Amino acid sequence: MSKVSMAIQMSGLSLRNPIITSSGTYGFGEEYSPFCSPSLLGGITVKGITPLPRLGNPVPRLAETPAGLLNSVGLENPGLEGFIRSYLPKLVELDTSVIVNISGFSIEDYAHLASAFQNDSGIAALEVNISCPNIKHGGMAFGTHPESAQEVIAIVRKNTDLPIIAKLSPNVTDIVEMARAVERGGADIISLINTLLGMSIDVKSQKPILANKMGGLSGPAVRPIAVRMVYQVYEAVDIPIVGMGGISTWQDAVEFMLAGASAVSIGTANFINPIAPVDILTGLENYCQQRGYGSVQEIVGLAHQR
Amino acid sequence: MVMILKERVIENRIMGDPIQMLYKMVISGQAAQTATPGQFVHLQVADSNEPLLRRPLSIAGIDKNTEEVTIYYKVIGKGTELLTRIKENEYISVLGPLGTGFTVPDSGELLLVAGGIGIFPLLSLIQAVDKEKVKLKLLWGGENKQFIESAGLIDIEKMGVNLDMSTLDGSLGTKGLVTDLLESYLGDNTDTIAKPKDNGKQNLRVATCGPKGMLQAVTKICLGHNVPVEVSLEERMACGIGACLGCVCTVKDLEGNLKRKRVCKEGPVMDGKEVVWDE
Repeated sequence: MSKVSMAIQMSGLSLRNPIITSSGTYGFGEEYSPFCSPSLLGGITVKGITPLPRLGNPVPRLAETPAGLLNSVGLENPGLEGFIRSYLPKLVELDTSVIVNISGFSIEDYAHLASAFQNDSGIAALEVNISCPNIKHGGMAFGTHPESAQEVIAIVRKNTDLPIIAKLSPNVTDIVEMARAVERGGADIISLINTLLGMSIDVKSQKPILANKMGGLSGPAVRPIAVRMVYQVYEAVDIPIVGMGGISTWQDAVEFMLAGASAVSIGTANFINPIAPVDILTGLENYCQQRGYGSVQEIVGLAHQR
Repeated sequence: MVMILKERVIENRIMGDPIQMLYKMVISGQAAQTATPGQFVHLQVADSNEPLLRRPLSIAGIDKNTEEVTIYYKVIGKGTELLTRIKENEYISVLGPLGTGFTVPDSGELLLVAGGIGIFPLLSLIQAVDKEKVKLKLLWGGENKQFIESAGLIDIEKMGVNLDMSTLDGSLGTKGLVTDLLESYLGDNTDTIAKPKDNGKQNLRVATCGPKGMLQAVTKICLGHNVPVEVSLEERMACGIGACLGCVCTVKDLEGNLKRKRVCKEGPVMDGKEVVWDE
């Protein structure tokens, strides 16, 4: 059998294969290296960076739900300076594409963060988390309002020459409207979905389990929602998509690619199986080979055929 | 070294009084080779989405010769209930050994303070300490006689440890809390406690595990007597290897700055002195 080409090209971002790891689930790339060589992955997305260091939320930060996990880590991170000083030098040495995730609480934050990362920084792309609250506008998340989502992406576009991945929040009425807004803002790629806002209450203590009361739901429970959103966004925009949301097996990855994702990102599954990304890659490659595809890119969006 | 392994379960049985729901599991394989006292293993209790996550369980015994790791656990939810269903000679996915364990002293006196099932990780320390060189003493508090007997009292007595017990109902040992035993022990043994003039040489040190409130009280008592104390913490955990930042503990450094440490990575054993208990 002939070998399947697993490489993918997405508007300025070339990856060895379509398997990425998700921000917040893979630390700064070090923790998983004993299990899974970064050189096997298409890329890794590092923990979200904010301008200043953050301690994040108090514990409990986690609550397990049926086929899912709620988290409210609260963007604990070493801040931009700390990241550049202590983590970036090691990250750029890794034999994989490194995607840096940035999170801000004002338009100025995003401008400041974006300007710190350019083509010569040794990273492959910037992923913009627009699910954070805009503290200057009553805490409404940037990513739940098309105008502010577009504005954030536009300011990032102005401040960096790296490929920009806009990460969409699913906590919106119309995901297509949000996708179009970030495309107008100048995003090169869209990633979706971020976590779904949820809550779990302890019936013994009669209080929410998470210290922050609410948190983001991930894991297999959210997958059908994510697949639906990828499918809808694929039909509405011209830029490529990184699909994520509960991908645990190669079949899940294929499902997202058929829905229109050019690449897929693995998050919560890493917690259960630290070599999940490699297992998924192997299964995806076998699937393409058995069906006679020369390139994995041929399956992207096939579910849209009539 | 941390590994992801398929290991054989050679024993998985209920211990003592069935109402206590206490189990012993022995796993055969490589995890025993590098495990140290106070570390834990992250077990996949079933191949399903519910529960989704692995279960972190402290290591109670390590035998490098027979390549066996012993775990004691109490059934408290769906995950531990599924764990009881694993039969002998079945295989289980083990991630580990993980985390940072206890300091194993080679001289002086080690005082162990256990609350309830907090005895389990301390067993691996009892096993590791050279009893010829280190004076070992265990204070163990539990709900009642049935609990303590079911949780392996006979085995602990066999290990040759000097043991004082307390129970809430007074059915075994002193009636009251283990912290009462600690108070009176430290009060009676002030001569073994390092004085500032000893130039930092510590004769007596404490290692403890139990409910968070108890650990806080034990730490306060120890620090009040100038006795160093290591605490084994518990927290809701996802990845187990330091990536997700779900299981943090707040600590205060020497300059008084608040920081987070990961219970799964820098812990579960931490220096009691630096833990911020009331966040």
